[in-house]
Amino acid sequence: MRATATHLDGTTGAAREVELWLDAEAGAITGAGLHWPLDEIRVLPDIAGGDLLILRLRGDPLQRLILRDRAWLAHLPHAHRRAPVANRKRLAGMAVAAILSVLLIVFVLVPTMADQLAAYIPPEGEQALGEVTLTQIREAMDETGVSPIGFCTESQGRAALDKMAARLTDGAQLHTRIDLHVLDHPLVNAFALPGGQVVLFRGLIEAAETPEEVAAVLAHEIGHVVSRDPTRNALRSAGSIGVLGLLFGDFAGGAVVLFLTERLIEAQYSQKAEAAADRYAIDLMRGAGLPPEALADMFERFRKLGGEAEGFVAHFQAHPKLGDRIAAARAAGVGADRGAPLLSARDWQALQAICGGGARPQPSASATTSQ
Amino acid sequence: MDISTPSASMPVHYTKDGSAIFKLGFKTGLLTFATLGIYRFWQKTRIRKFIWSSTSAGGDAFEYTGTGLEKFLGFLIAIVFLAVYLGVIQMVLFYLGLSMLDQPDPFDPMSTVRFLAAFYISFFAVLPFLLYALYRARRYKMARTRWRGIRFGMDKGAWGYAFRAIGYGLLTLVTLVTLGILAPLMSFKLEKYMTDRSHYGDARFQQGGKWTGLYPALKHVLIGIGLLVLAGICGALDIPALAIIAGIVGYIWIFVGFIYYQVRSFAYLTSHKVLAGGITFDAQPRTGEVIKTYIIGGLAIGILAGIAFAILGVVVGGLTAAIGSGASIGSMIGIGLLAIAGYVVVLTLVQALGLSMITQPILAHFIETITIGNPEALNAIRQRESETGVDAEGFADALDIGGAI
Repeated sequence: MRATATHLDGTTGAAREVELWLDAEAGAITGAGLHWPLDEIRVLPDIAGGDLLILRLRGDPLQRLILRDRAWLAHLPHAHRRAPVANRKRLAGMAVAAILSVLLIVFVLVPTMADQLAAYIPPEGEQALGEVTLTQIREAMDETGVSPIGFCTESQGRAALDKMAARLTDGAQLHTRIDLHVLDHPLVNAFALPGGQVVLFRGLIEAAETPEEVAAVLAHEIGHVVSRDPTRNALRSAGSIGVLGLLFGDFAGGAVVLFLTERLIEAQYSQKAEAAADRYAIDLMRGAGLPPEALADMFERFRKLGGEAEGFVAHFQAHPKLGDRIAAARAAGVGADRGAPLLSARDWQALQAICGGGARPQPSASATTSQ
Repeated sequence: MDISTPSASMPVHYTKDGSAIFKLGFKTGLLTFATLGIYRFWQKTRIRKFIWSSTSAGGDAFEYTGTGLEKFLGFLIAIVFLAVYLGVIQMVLFYLGLSMLDQPDPFDPMSTVRFLAAFYISFFAVLPFLLYALYRARRYKMARTRWRGIRFGMDKGAWGYAFRAIGYGLLTLVTLVTLGILAPLMSFKLEKYMTDRSHYGDARFQQGGKWTGLYPALKHVLIGIGLLVLAGICGALDIPALAIIAGIVGYIWIFVGFIYYQVRSFAYLTSHKVLAGGITFDAQPRTGEVIKTYIIGGLAIGILAGIAFAILGVVVGGLTAAIGSGASIGSMIGIGLLAIAGYVVVLTLVQALGLSMITQPILAHFIETITIGNPEALNAIRQRESETGVDAEGFADALDIGGAI
């Protein structure tokens, strides 16, 4: 087999026409001072046109043979074998370093910085952040698609709620004032936001049997406000979303990965924070002369509603096992001082009807624990 | 390979093959989705190999020798650095009460101000790296380009580039009030900075010409601005009809003027480049051709994408209706996955069509108008040392400014 080919020697800019033949005995392409063993010849991939065969020699990055006859391809045993991966160790090292540094940033640097910054964030910024987040949550939870879910502001119920909050916080040292809201939604839940915003859902107030139980949840959320957990969480999200967004770029599925990672981070973070908020709530209840075991009563009611999740699901629900929390709250109730009752029967009725009352609807079965 | 007959000038040729590049783009696009984006480094490499090999001068094709692996490695290196940097920036912004994660509230001007502040601070924090990455990406492409077996190359100087780009950018911004009159200075000086550091083999490129030579290219932008000023004057003098006409015409004029500027400044800058040994270049791209390609390609892709999405909608809708309200969760998930897969396929289709019907034709037009003067001198050029830039174009990849090719 013979052909004319173009030889690029890789040192001069002149292309040279050469006569080549296939030497089957020697197992090589030879001619004009060239000797290319067939099993060391590779074909360049993704060449446009498809009429040319551009050959290179394994281990020689520069020389090229350009053939116009693709029939030669049949004689090259390893034509499409990939080039061996150069500096494999370095590559593996960099990959590991990249993964480690991202992990380090997301799980160590960002949380540490978030903790530091949370203590120094200006109150106005925190306040604004909380308000924006609250609006977002109200819009996200709305199912009608018309307007964000509303606040419950029935005046007598509101007065009872304020009375309850005042009793709890009178003796406490707070860095910010507490902004208390009730949202008209059947979920048995409550959460705290940056800037001292505490939100109770209608479902929680209705599921509670005594005012002390509501107060216990409130105390728990105040515990989050005091340790600035919501602000810290928001700072962490900002930091890790910045990093993870970079990693996944504009890739379409990135948002899902982002969300899952974010959930994991938050859950791991909150386990400790929840326990601390429980301890704070117990102290606050004691200080106000209220029974700390009300917290346990409320937790048990959550459990009956199906709030406790096991295994994998539990990991994604940002809370320590309810059983442990109930036991801790019960233990705290032993020997605690008892003050005056928290609310009168009338006040309690008014509070339960804060959303415009009437018949008590069944609380949602899909309720989860307080955040 | 016709090097035996010397000619006064050597044309540069691009062999356009729309269906081959479409197939390559579509196949590698699907692989990129299937690998959660990791394959994009190999996708880019394969498309470049194809485009480079479609380009030839004097019958000899260009070769792209970059690899997907080195791009991936470069990306990892960039990630290590940028992850720390961006994470810290985001949190400091947050600390200042500025967050891009909050949508601005239209009824609260302060929230919009906060949003914009967060956006601009993030942007300017990343800007030096964007510019750095721009230079590095071009340097990497040069280092991995060969013609007749001889390497192109570029000297180090990415920070110098970033520094100058910010300087000229500020100057242009300051003079923006005087209708951006210094934009050609920036275009010219930055291109000169890059060209003067470029080589082909042992020969060095040089950017000739003067920055004021770019003003003719700017003329349509200036006319457009003039029309907008006229519209403003007419508005002030209470001649609404004339104001509206001048406004609309001026707006379109500026838009076309920017394309004209890009095309003509490329022509000017290329025609004033010289390679050591007296090798000259000439480029005559036509603005009309570029705009025509954009319009025809854009319309065709729009129609094809519309049809593809309509088919997808009918299939998914039909299946949902066929299963009816008594559908099991399994079949619902099945339809959902089908819809997502269909969406991904159509999206990849649109990208591949864009490559085949817009990117390649425009590239081909630019390349086809280039001719090389005094090509015999090319034979005297010798090989240069290879470069092993370790981060390839990792920063450009990480910051997503690389584009398709």
